[in-house]
Amino acid sequence: MRPTFSLVLAALSALIVLFILLPVVVTISTQFYNPGFIQAMEDRAVWSSILLTYYAALLSTLIAIVFGTPLSYILSRYSFLGRSIVEGVVDIPVVIPHTAAGIALLAVFGSNGLIGSFSPFKFVDALPGIVVAMLFVSVPIYLNAAREGFASIDLRLEQVARTLGASQWRVFFTISLPLAARHIAAGALMAWARAISEFGAIVVIAYYPMIAPTLIYERYISAGLSAAGPVTAILILLSLAVFVAIRILLWGENVSRSER
Amino acid sequence: MRKYILLLVLLGLLLCGCTQSVQDTNKAFKQVSGNISGNEGQSKKVVLKVFHAGSLTEPMKALKKVFEKSYPNVEVQCEAAGSAKTIRKVTELHRNADVIASADYSLISKMMYPEYADWTIKFARNQIVLAYTDKSKYADEMSSANWYQILRRPDVKFGFSNPNDDPCGYRSQMVLQLAELYYNDSTIYDDLVAKHSNLKFVEENGTYVLRMPNSENINPDTNKLMIRSMEMELISGLETEEIDYFFIYRSVAQQHHFRFVELPPQIDLSSPEYTSIYKKVKVVQANGKEIVGKPIVYGITIPKNANYKEYAEKFVGLVIGKEGQEIFEKLGQPPLIPPKVDNINKLPKSLKRYFNP
Repeated sequence: MRPTFSLVLAALSALIVLFILLPVVVTISTQFYNPGFIQAMEDRAVWSSILLTYYAALLSTLIAIVFGTPLSYILSRYSFLGRSIVEGVVDIPVVIPHTAAGIALLAVFGSNGLIGSFSPFKFVDALPGIVVAMLFVSVPIYLNAAREGFASIDLRLEQVARTLGASQWRVFFTISLPLAARHIAAGALMAWARAISEFGAIVVIAYYPMIAPTLIYERYISAGLSAAGPVTAILILLSLAVFVAIRILLWGENVSRSER
Repeated sequence: MRKYILLLVLLGLLLCGCTQSVQDTNKAFKQVSGNISGNEGQSKKVVLKVFHAGSLTEPMKALKKVFEKSYPNVEVQCEAAGSAKTIRKVTELHRNADVIASADYSLISKMMYPEYADWTIKFARNQIVLAYTDKSKYADEMSSANWYQILRRPDVKFGFSNPNDDPCGYRSQMVLQLAELYYNDSTIYDDLVAKHSNLKFVEENGTYVLRMPNSENINPDTNKLMIRSMEMELISGLETEEIDYFFIYRSVAQQHHFRFVELPPQIDLSSPEYTSIYKKVKVVQANGKEIVGKPIVYGITIPKNANYKEYAEKFVGLVIGKEGQEIFEKLGQPPLIPPKVDNINKLPKSLKRYFNP
């Protein structure tokens, strides 16, 4: 690398890293002087809303794994009529504004909606409503990551296993799935994180029970920044900790090196 | 890899150190940009920012059109939100608004004086009604005489906005409690709200006080009640038949073509002549702010940090002038004629002519 080239690279990279870090660091660092931070740490409502958020996001991610893995496998292996249409459909939630997504979900899962009218679950202002909203916004992330994973596998491995007499089921579970596991896990983690951060779609369908983003919004409106800040900081710190912990557990320290 | 992580951590530490100075720079920057925009030319494209209560959405749209026609170089950008949030955008997020319009005039003096504003013009009134559609349960039985009996029925679901966040929310609670006094039936609020949530009025020296819990502890039975942060968010609830009825401003109900029942003027917070009755109810929000029942009057002001004061004054002039009053009238919201102002000596000169003694 020429020195000027690497200098430009480093400068631009530093800027974008700064751009991401600055708001986070400012939010957290101002909490060191805020007496409300301790108060929020001791507030049960804060913890129960964070727990609810994590729990709902976990459910949504599990659903994404169970129903999304087959679809991402199909998309990476088979070409069929309308495949590009399905690929487009998968990305729709990414481009829909969150509030609009919430309204669309309400139309389907509301008490008089297409599904809500006969479903045994109540979606509006209830946990299932939170989960479907999280699933809707986070499932494209999972699908795309899992598809990448399957696509990265050397096809010949699957073919050899088949010629040696293994069934399609066995090949899928002993060859394809383990080889794509890393991508799938990464996709699941990102989908979980995306679900935690959702607010706009959820608040339309389920204002109660209150998830952490709704609680932050509530604190902000009724008591102002000084009350919303501590909850925000707790959510950021905790989520970062969980995120880093899972990454270390799954990949060990040197992610990029071992992959290459 | 390890090297990069180290670098990032160092960077993070560095940032923590300079947070303070960053904020200082921001302030300086704001001052500079404020000075520049202060002496703008006539021909320059001007973006006039109007932050307003959600219930003013339709009239503001109409006013924007009229204003932009008279001043083609101005683009009016309207931002709707709950009234408290609208004000917080200026006082806490330090965003520059040129005009602030709140659904409760007293919020402006309570939250913005003296640092961010020092006058309020009262310009419009409103009243709380119970909105519904043809598809609402028992819609054909509904009337202003039996509305609370119908809300009592176990299969009827209704909504109001969060009293901690939104004037329409605490006003709905006041209406329900005033109904107890008016109909001489002390179980209306209990049956409709108290039994299905943690909200409860308590009598203290002749006034009825609702002390709001934190929003996360309102704990509504979602099979009976639908609560949303802002009254406008309940519209989708009614449209999808999630709820059968909800408490809303008359103007909003009319603009959205809902059917609605008008409640007796002794309880619907519309008439200044019943002020002494309205005073009997009080809501204390979770943040400690106390709101005593009073007629619904909207307030408007120009924040001190407005970018385009000159145009803001013209816009306020339009709102309180004849043309504005006609727009409000047409959209189902009675204007206050004549408008009233609290601190006339602080009012910009160009607006004083609306308040000739």
